[in-house]
Amino acid sequence: MNRRQIIKPTSIVAIIIILFLAPVLIESIYWMSILALACINVLLVSSLRSIKLLDHISLGHVGFTLIGAYGTALLVMKVGLPFWGALIMAGLMSSFVALVLGYPFLKVKGMYFAILTLLTAETFRSIAYYWRGLTGGQLGLLNIPPPSPLTFPGLGTISFDTIHNYYYIILIVVLISLSIIYRLEHSHLSFKWQAIRDADNLAQSVGINVAWYKMVNFAIACFFAGIAGGLFAHYQHNLSADATSRFGVWTTLYLLIYLVVGGEAKFAGPIIGTLVLMFVGEFARPLGEFQPMIIGALAIFVVLLLPGGIIGLPDQFKLLYRKLLKQTTGVQGSV
Amino acid sequence: MDLPAQVWVQVVVNGLALGWLYVLMALGLTFILSMMGILQLAHGEIYMIGAYIVYYLSVSLGLNHYLAMLLSMLIMATFGILLEKFLFRPVQGYLLPPIVVSIGLTLILTSAAAVFFGLFERGLPRLAHGSFLVLGSAVPKDRIIAVGFSIGLLVLVYLFLKRSKYGQAMVASAQNRESALLRGINPNQMSRLAFSIACALAAVGGSLAGAIMKLSPFMGTPPLVKGLVIIVLGGMGSLLGATVGGLILGLLDSVIPVAFSPAVASIAPLIIVVIILLVRPQGLFGHE
Repeated sequence: MNRRQIIKPTSIVAIIIILFLAPVLIESIYWMSILALACINVLLVSSLRSIKLLDHISLGHVGFTLIGAYGTALLVMKVGLPFWGALIMAGLMSSFVALVLGYPFLKVKGMYFAILTLLTAETFRSIAYYWRGLTGGQLGLLNIPPPSPLTFPGLGTISFDTIHNYYYIILIVVLISLSIIYRLEHSHLSFKWQAIRDADNLAQSVGINVAWYKMVNFAIACFFAGIAGGLFAHYQHNLSADATSRFGVWTTLYLLIYLVVGGEAKFAGPIIGTLVLMFVGEFARPLGEFQPMIIGALAIFVVLLLPGGIIGLPDQFKLLYRKLLKQTTGVQGSV
Repeated sequence: MDLPAQVWVQVVVNGLALGWLYVLMALGLTFILSMMGILQLAHGEIYMIGAYIVYYLSVSLGLNHYLAMLLSMLIMATFGILLEKFLFRPVQGYLLPPIVVSIGLTLILTSAAAVFFGLFERGLPRLAHGSFLVLGSAVPKDRIIAVGFSIGLLVLVYLFLKRSKYGQAMVASAQNRESALLRGINPNQMSRLAFSIACALAAVGGSLAGAIMKLSPFMGTPPLVKGLVIIVLGGMGSLLGATVGGLILGLLDSVIPVAFSPAVASIAPLIIVVIILLVRPQGLFGHE
């Protein structure tokens, strides 16, 4: 027990240090971009998992990412806000939209919620696609500027026009967001969420405002989706909203696969799932059109044969080991 | 906007044709959802592959178009039985796993289609050439045939559910699995039947759509989204709801871009669904 208390924090610190050193160690712009995108996806999948805490499945997370992305980009380009202000504003915008839509949507359960969020994402995407005056329509938004340079005492001025430097912004924002999501999951709010998930009528009868807490959960998750979108806008430098873009249905499908392959039971699940599958996807890229097939087959394999996902593997091994141990000792005892 | 009456007639006919295709999609989805509680996100890919089978049978092998459609229905129904047995039965009753299985299937089928069928768009031969004159405007014959085909299928499905022993057994096991089991109905057999009917309907929908529009490996996604929205709109498990919902969405998709703009047309379904949820959360014709 004691050993575990030491191992867990040290390994987390070690991973964070490695992530901070990554731009120094990795020269290639390509791999740096993949790592940055993986960080953004980790935030998206983790916030998806926090909706799943209420046993709701959102197929519309990209819709709120889109609000965050276009919101940040437009606030920076048209209103002239600084990057950080725009990022927070865009996150608040998407959580406000989630709060408004959450009221009718959260009246229904399970599958219906999933369908409605899918519709929402597709609607937002086509609004962005057709509203030429605001979003640039089919052409999309071009030349989104990098965040303005920051001056640190002792370090000098750092500009964020290269991916190696911008990665630090992504990493810091994602780490802060993840720690907030983690804190929320272990807070008072989360007890209420669990009560609602396990028995919503009972929760209502002890004075928990079920509708409100469901809406809050959805709005918080969508806030982080918006933040991830804002980070993505300045990562990509241009945004478009056609069906094959980042904001199409496909991204939603991949995010859910990351969540399940990683394992939804633990906080680390989405992080591991996203990182593993994104790199599997990258290494499978030479296979061309067969690449989605591999990811899809992996997803089905994990769902059918490893219900806990990657994060559940150690527990399953432990179970197997104990079973084997019991069997062998049992045999020895009888002899 | 002042458009001549002929344009409106054509717009409405297009909308109805599109609507009936959506109805076929929504019927299959609602069958699977109410029988097994599974959100089949790969249904759009079943629709796409059904259309490609018709393409290869009729264009490459030179079979009669309608015979090819029948064969494609049978092939996809068999495929549906296999899918139900090996992929969806093991995860039935859970929330997230069936969705992820269907997502995995979507990725596999789409990339298989991209590999084997190619990424470029193809077209099926038209169902009929020429047009009728309605109110002084030309209405293409192939749309009318597609609508007729869909209505015929819907009537068949209706008769099957209401008049046949198997149909009644299916309705019973969708309403209450345990009681159906007590009456000697095998719910697993019934969900297999529902799955294969759903796949056959999707194959017909796809091949009709392929004859009116174009074939591509990605043609399945938009009708899938429409079909799912129709279920929410009409109420789950309701035949009438699926039909009315499908026609509403089809008309919205064709009339509003002409009357207002494509942007308005894309927001309209969301607004309608939100209003309906606020007034009647179970959908237009749903019960509970």
